[in-house]
Amino acid sequence: MKVREQQVCLQGAPICRGIAIGKPFFFTLIEDSVPEFTIPKKDIEEEIERYRKAVERSRDDIKKLQKKLKKEKILEGAAILDAHIQMMQDPLLTQHIEEEIKRSFKNAEFVFHTFVSQYQKKFQTLADPFFRERFKDIQDISHRIMGYLRDSVSVSLADIPENSIVFSDDLTAFDTAEANVSSVKAFVTQKGSATSHAAIVAKAKGIPYVTDIALESLLELDQDGQVIVDGRTGDIIFHPTDETLEAYKGLKVELDRQLNVWGERESLPAETIDGYRIKLSSNIDMAEDLDIFHEYGGEGVGLFRSEYMFLSNDSFPTEAEQYSFYLRLVEKMRGLPIVIRTFDFGGDKLMLNPYFPAEGNSFIGCRAIRYLLKERDIFKSQIRAILRASRSGDVRIMFPMISTLAELIEAKELLNEAYEELEKEGIEDIPQVKIGSMIEVPSAAIVADLLAKECDFLSIGTNDLVQYSLAVDRRNHSPNQVHASTDPSVLRMIKLVVSEANHQGIPVTVCGEIAADPRFTALLLGLGVHELSVAPRYLPTIRQAVRSSCIVEACALAEKALMLSNAKDIQDLLSEEYMRNSPDDQLYNC
Amino acid sequence: MKLVQKVQVKNRLGLHTRPATMIVKLLQHVKSSVQFTCRKETVNAKSILSILMLAAKRNSRITITVEGEDAEVVMDQLVNAFDTQFGES
Repeated sequence: MKVREQQVCLQGAPICRGIAIGKPFFFTLIEDSVPEFTIPKKDIEEEIERYRKAVERSRDDIKKLQKKLKKEKILEGAAILDAHIQMMQDPLLTQHIEEEIKRSFKNAEFVFHTFVSQYQKKFQTLADPFFRERFKDIQDISHRIMGYLRDSVSVSLADIPENSIVFSDDLTAFDTAEANVSSVKAFVTQKGSATSHAAIVAKAKGIPYVTDIALESLLELDQDGQVIVDGRTGDIIFHPTDETLEAYKGLKVELDRQLNVWGERESLPAETIDGYRIKLSSNIDMAEDLDIFHEYGGEGVGLFRSEYMFLSNDSFPTEAEQYSFYLRLVEKMRGLPIVIRTFDFGGDKLMLNPYFPAEGNSFIGCRAIRYLLKERDIFKSQIRAILRASRSGDVRIMFPMISTLAELIEAKELLNEAYEELEKEGIEDIPQVKIGSMIEVPSAAIVADLLAKECDFLSIGTNDLVQYSLAVDRRNHSPNQVHASTDPSVLRMIKLVVSEANHQGIPVTVCGEIAADPRFTALLLGLGVHELSVAPRYLPTIRQAVRSSCIVEACALAEKALMLSNAKDIQDLLSEEYMRNSPDDQLYNC
Repeated sequence: MKLVQKVQVKNRLGLHTRPATMIVKLLQHVKSSVQFTCRKETVNAKSILSILMLAAKRNSRITITVEGEDAEVVMDQLVNAFDTQFGES
């Protein structure tokens, strides 16, 4: 008789809300745990070749090292390496493994690792400790070979079993971008944070995401069977009882129904009960996102992250390439306005691809506008391409990471040069595009009055603003980050920016993650924000939040929040208000 | 041709990594198949990992089996290597 495993509940930190029920899939690995998967027959030769290459590269490494030791007259060391080279030519590590891959149709690292473990077991039974010690040599070479194998394996989330709950140490934005929504039901990681790029992409796809789960604690669990991920509370439930499973299944049906109902209200205006209308727009990374944007009735694109078009490019696209790209984008807008943010990436060309941020603190230094003002040719080619595309629709330009007025002025000068150049070239019908500045550095918020005079609109990027204001790293989850978005300092800065913009008569957009959290909606309305820009998937949720708020109450709420002195109290206040306005929502009210 | 001969491990630390390395290097381009038998366990002598698994200590007795066209030369070289303690004496 099979004994039923007990229900186990682990508590993590929720990043993206939603409920998922599925089977665990281990993606990136905990040290020493090795993925096992089946290789299709047609790819077996390739898999064997991959293994051969890994062994070959390891052997070359050791030969190089040996040469160096000989040169330095460390002959004893060179002799030991001789043994390593012999081991890597050993029929057990070559022919035997290759035959085993062919026979079992399993991936090379799994076959190799299984062999080494068996060998280790045998070694441990040896009576003589001197011989037992020899296993260390094998460990050395096995680490090296495994390193090369992992290096060459391209495990991608695009191609994993249906209904998977992906467990991983960490995820890059590239991983989450590749994830197929029909097979990946949720992400669970050890490291991560709510405003990391990986999380933003996961949210945009609506995939529940929980972090801060120690993967080690999973090793003791029987990983068969179903897992429940509650992206609202951060609960991960292994071996759920029938009761738990039924409850979550019911909840999931209810949440899906709720989203469907909200989604069908795409033609209703984003206005409060008492008739205060705001603009509800979207953050877009790729042109494909525009389909769902139109489906959910977005009123414009508040932030197009232009650097994401590098995903499939190794080099800077030419002006002509960019032009045709922007043109296609503008045409897909069907006349609605689009704000194109100029490239936001760092100075090192290696960081060109935004999905692979460089090591170290890439958030400070030569990034975004600073980089563009240094690489003026790149900047100008982008501006020219945007201006040319602006003849076909309502296009606006926004500069990222402005921290001083001087930067904004310099960027505007370059814009004027581009206008003049195009005019000289005979392209005359270019409209005067509206210019905006991102407010994501505290210094920019403080001099918002100066920036507002030079702009047609301002846009607050709260993710970076929070990171820079409170000196918390947005890439990692930490206790002091949990309430960072509701810190009084952040609220005061938003308030300041809105007041200064109002003074100049220009609108303010909030395009950070808080804009997509309905518990913040009333507060942002009350603070006087004119436009909320969210990932298309969140349009229905935020429209609903606006429509169930009342502007008079929202202003009172904002006033009250500004009087509070700590982040936790402010967050509680917002949650209470949301609970009162939208008591039926089970996704955010818990 | 198949040859069988018994030898004794004479060097102090037994058939550890270094002698094992010498053996497989010596057998690298040999055509015959070569096997070592020690305490009823028989292994491929061209595999360093297998030789190490024998954990043959000083004074262990090893039966060498060589089968193939160059068996005689190979057996001579192997016996000589064991006798001279793999250059460790």
